[in-house]
Amino acid sequence: MSGRVLVVDDEVEMQRALRTGLRYHDFEVRAVGSGEEALRETASWRPDVILLDLGLPGMDGFATLRALRPTTRAGVIVVSVMPGEKDKVRALDAGADDYVVKPFGTDELVARIRAVLRRQADVSAGEPIIRTGDLEIDLARRSVTAAGRPVKLTPTEYELLRYLALHAGKPVTHTTLLRQVWGEYAVGDKYNTRYVVAQIRKKLGDDPANPRYIVNEPGVGYRLEN
Amino acid sequence: MAPFAAAVAGAVVVTIAIGLVSTRFQVPGLSALYLLLVLWLGATWGRGPAVAASVAAFLLYDFFFVPPVGTFNVRGPNEVVELFVLLAVALVTGQLAGSLRRTQSAAEALAADERAMYELATAALRSPEVAVALSLLSERAAHLEGVSRFALVGMDFGNAVPLAGGSLSADELRQATWSYENRRSVGVAVSDGAVRLMRTQPEGAAPAYLPLASGVAVMEIEADRPSPSDMRMLAALVGLADLLLDRRRAALEAERAKGLEASDRLKAAILSSLSHELKSPIASLRAGLTALTAPQAGLNPEQRELLRDLDGQATRLDRLVGDMLALSRLEAGLELEREPLRFADLVGTTLHQLRPELKGHAVTLEMADDLPPVEVDELQVGRVLTNLIENAIEWASPDGGIAVGAGVNDDRLTAWVENDGPAIAPTDLDRVFETFWTRRARGSGLGLAIAKRVIEAHGGKIRAENRRRGPRFTFTLPLARVTATT
Repeated sequence: MSGRVLVVDDEVEMQRALRTGLRYHDFEVRAVGSGEEALRETASWRPDVILLDLGLPGMDGFATLRALRPTTRAGVIVVSVMPGEKDKVRALDAGADDYVVKPFGTDELVARIRAVLRRQADVSAGEPIIRTGDLEIDLARRSVTAAGRPVKLTPTEYELLRYLALHAGKPVTHTTLLRQVWGEYAVGDKYNTRYVVAQIRKKLGDDPANPRYIVNEPGVGYRLEN
Repeated sequence: MAPFAAAVAGAVVVTIAIGLVSTRFQVPGLSALYLLLVLWLGATWGRGPAVAASVAAFLLYDFFFVPPVGTFNVRGPNEVVELFVLLAVALVTGQLAGSLRRTQSAAEALAADERAMYELATAALRSPEVAVALSLLSERAAHLEGVSRFALVGMDFGNAVPLAGGSLSADELRQATWSYENRRSVGVAVSDGAVRLMRTQPEGAAPAYLPLASGVAVMEIEADRPSPSDMRMLAALVGLADLLLDRRRAALEAERAKGLEASDRLKAAILSSLSHELKSPIASLRAGLTALTAPQAGLNPEQRELLRDLDGQATRLDRLVGDMLALSRLEAGLELEREPLRFADLVGTTLHQLRPELKGHAVTLEMADDLPPVEVDELQVGRVLTNLIENAIEWASPDGGIAVGAGVNDDRLTAWVENDGPAIAPTDLDRVFETFWTRRARGSGLGLAIAKRVIEAHGGKIRAENRRRGPRFTFTLPLARVTATT
């Protein structure tokens, strides 16, 4: 699988390293150093994935993300050296598809880019049954089976799992889950999601110490493995 | 003398009036007309003129109307009784009217005091500058009779600061501080709504001190002079000063909190910019080194191996920088982001992240399914678990076991991480938590130091001990008080 990747980073060394590294993995790569250039390049070149550094000079990463999101269907992977998990949450809530912390190895980055591209392909397919590993979610019949065994979930548990499954592979923030599953009033009470996820894991026979399905994203939320 | 002249003149006028009436009509009890005069005098000037008018009326009535008329002699017992009734009634009436007048003037004085107090309180509480209000108040107090000095001292975070009523000597400030800290008044007390002197103060003696909620009132009162009403007024002023000092302190504390918050924001901003500066070059290094290990780069296996080693070094440097920044953040005392969490989830997440490092090591979990949630910072405690489990991996025998356990003790969660490696020397059990102390040749000596600081920031304790199987690190975490709503 190949595709077009736009690198947005103000460090020239980083641009060069990523251009080289990603080309070895058969991606078409262009690199720019500012948010304004990113907007122009996105409009004219139409990348499939944008690697967006949050610490840009001038128009910062968040402003760029907000400006980009309505104009492109490209997957956006936010990149930052900031250890703050608040940035991750903010970026994901603002429409980023994934988040990578600098420094990272090329292999890890390539895996993330491929996951985003795969999800884009999945979404266009729009299948009524979502499969991840031996987990099957039948959206039409609202039924769930794990390893061929039917699993009985409460409506809240089902809604949460369905939302994660629709965004399989992508980290979903607590805020998004609370808003989508419970409603605006529940935003802020993260213990709700933690409690329900623990229940779902128990019913799926998932070990939290070695999860096959739902993975914790510390400080952020959850991700369904795919 | 005017009231007494009026009393005599009035008595004469009433006598003439009685004379005029009694020549035309036979009316008994006309002497009662004198009582009107006595009543009026008593109400206007008090008891003295009323008594004088009573005596004058007694004499005039006797002279002009009591037979034998024209003399002060009295003929029969009836007339004697009539005259003394007149005198007695006049005296009692005068007395009553006089005391009524005294009550009224006292009420008026009290009303004037209350009005003054009200005006002062309104001015003081409306004044945006508490200092101005305090000066107003202290001036007003010093104007009271018997009060020769009234100063106010604020206690700002342990320091005595003169605020109104003139400067204080170093000795006086020390005394004020003592009085404030020990909540003991010196020389005066407030009881039943009035200030009372607790000892006689000779002329020029040391001032009296009265501790308030946020300061001290320092005053000098002349022992022989104070009137009860002024002492009540003084007590009211002290009460008002108490309120104003409280308001001042609340404002100071709000300002200080704002300052601390700003300094926290500054520290966070410096650390974040430092982390950007230190990590960006490492990020470029790792991106470049790992790019070249791809087969498409066309390097031979030996060259690729070298690049992987270098990337390992860059990763190590990144860990070290990350640990140093984490330590700085902890030393800067930045706020924890606590929330209710399940300890088993924290362990699960950590183990999931450490999968590559764990390799062949088996991890045994020794904790109940229904542990109550803890109230902790997810990332910080995650870091503690990561550091402790990595430490355990380092020391456990090659295919040996690592155990992670938890249980509830009193109102805390007690958790531990254990491995089957060699025991820690007894003398080193405390030292392992020291910054930069390490048992390993290549360890940073930061992992356990960070763990200790994070646990202590949560109000918990961490310790190392040697168990039968091997070294164990035990720490405590606070429990949360929540229930889930589903």
